[in-house]
Amino acid sequence: MHIYLPIAEMPANVLLFLGMGSAVGFLSGLFGVGGGFLLTPLLIFSGIPTPVAVGTAAAQIVASSVSGAIAQWQRNNVDIKMGLVLLAGGVAGSVIGVQMVRILRLAGQFDLFVALAYVTFLGVIGTLMLIEAVGAIQRARTQQQPLLQRGSGQHNWVHRLPLKMRFHRSKLYISAIPPLAIGAFVGFLGAIIGAGGGFIMVPAMIYLLRMPTNIVIGTSLFQIVFVAGLTTVMQAAENYSVDVVLALLLIVSGVIGAQYGAAAGARLKGEQLRLLLAALVLLVCVRIGWDLVATPDDLYSITTSFGGAP
Amino acid sequence: MTVLRALSATGALWLALAGGAWPLPSDAAAQTLARGHEDSRRIVQRSPKGAPAGARAAPQPLPRETVEADVSSRAIAITSAFTGTEIVVFGSVINSRQPSAEAGYYDVIVVLEGVPEPVVARRKSNVAGLWVNTDAFDFESAPSYYAIASTRPIEEIAEEEFLEAHAIGLDYVRLSPAARSVIRTEPAEIKNFKEAVVRRRQRDGLYLKADYAVIFIGKSLFRASIALPAHVPVGPLTARVYLFREGEVLSTFQQRVRLEREGIELWIYWFAMRHPALYGLFTVMIAVIAGLLASAAFRRKAAA
Repeated sequence: MHIYLPIAEMPANVLLFLGMGSAVGFLSGLFGVGGGFLLTPLLIFSGIPTPVAVGTAAAQIVASSVSGAIAQWQRNNVDIKMGLVLLAGGVAGSVIGVQMVRILRLAGQFDLFVALAYVTFLGVIGTLMLIEAVGAIQRARTQQQPLLQRGSGQHNWVHRLPLKMRFHRSKLYISAIPPLAIGAFVGFLGAIIGAGGGFIMVPAMIYLLRMPTNIVIGTSLFQIVFVAGLTTVMQAAENYSVDVVLALLLIVSGVIGAQYGAAAGARLKGEQLRLLLAALVLLVCVRIGWDLVATPDDLYSITTSFGGAP
Repeated sequence: MTVLRALSATGALWLALAGGAWPLPSDAAAQTLARGHEDSRRIVQRSPKGAPAGARAAPQPLPRETVEADVSSRAIAITSAFTGTEIVVFGSVINSRQPSAEAGYYDVIVVLEGVPEPVVARRKSNVAGLWVNTDAFDFESAPSYYAIASTRPIEEIAEEEFLEAHAIGLDYVRLSPAARSVIRTEPAEIKNFKEAVVRRRQRDGLYLKADYAVIFIGKSLFRASIALPAHVPVGPLTARVYLFREGEVLSTFQQRVRLEREGIELWIYWFAMRHPALYGLFTVMIAVIAGLLASAAFRRKAAA
């Protein structure tokens, strides 16, 4: 069964994209990530032009994050104040990121930059999470204290910065600068690589801000809803690259998947979740990295100005 | 074509002169004159590639051959169910002197071409172990789609100069390099980039070539069916039909094919292009509503 995509200008296999949307939605609900870092590469591999994949994935992230965020909200796992601080940074980063996309595309280095960004961040974060999660699981087995328990004496450089704010839900009293910077960086990267950036924000909140894992997931989803929404509008306005028909297929399947994912996540332990997410992140990293180093079968490639974009 | 038209005009002049010189100029006589003139031209310019057996016509008082053609659908609607289509270009040789469909007396070339659009070709090279785009070449225009069908390989039908002048064949697709790219690129390199555009488009199924795809069904009737892939860029197409005999073009025909979005596809496209920000907001709204609906539905399910 096929349906023609008006912006991508190609027919799409309905079942394929419904399956893709529900799988990514499930993982999104499970891990509290938007799922864009999985969805965008999957869309590109299945033949969707890169700009459309990046623009449309943002719309799907909104949907799966809304439903994921609400599921987390019901468990009281969202730190609104922290989310708003992250969001302020995210909006600024996203605006700069969309401009950066245009510059990189003109230079012909967009695809390279996207691939390098994915490999670098997925590789570093995946490895760190893997090491930490394996360690945590081993400690849990030997009945030791987990590493992430925060004591009054545990202060790093993050806690010495000015502009301190109290985040009640996260039980933190820290400077607003690190969350702002994390939000800005994630927003910037998210606009460029077509991902909400949860896969960067979640570890940053856990390891840098020392937020409790359960609060991190809800708060990250809360922030992603708004940043991805803004990114969708900007991609549509500046790059004409959002396909609403493709988005609809991914959204409908994604929101359902996200609900099952969130339910499954509630039954898994934090360190198990982190181990699974780490494995997934590394898998995507290796797949994208392979294309960078493997000799292409044709050294030449061609691009056209996209859609009705001038 | 221009040469041919000029010659026909000369023929008409001859006719007028003949009419004046002789008291009873019949139509047949006039045609003999015109015919004879054309034949002599053909002898002078006879193609070295040779003609199919039985192609040598005795100089008879016969009217000139012309081609009339059309396409199976002049307007193709792109709806949500569009999965590619097939365009049949059919036509007929008026005053055909071909004894049978198999005689191979005439050659026909059919070209179906999309709109010209700017294209950037890039080449990768290995930089510190990574494959990176290092060279780029801009084309002002390249056809978004190009399909050619013929009764036999086009190199056997016509001279290179003719094919090049009329952009017939994948070797002669009209690719206009941008001046800014030409001044900083070696001629040999330009050739590489041009070949790359055709090769990539061929691989994507947007540039097609089919020798022997134009088939004569009778003495004068021919047809060719050309595949239009589902991902063909939306825009008008032009079908060109060339009728050849012994390397000489006898007649040509041209027909436009409209390829347009229709119904909901047109509406969405129009919305996305005219009101992009509103369209973006609309998409986000759908996403938010879908997310909320799913949450509500699952909460009710969980509560029950």
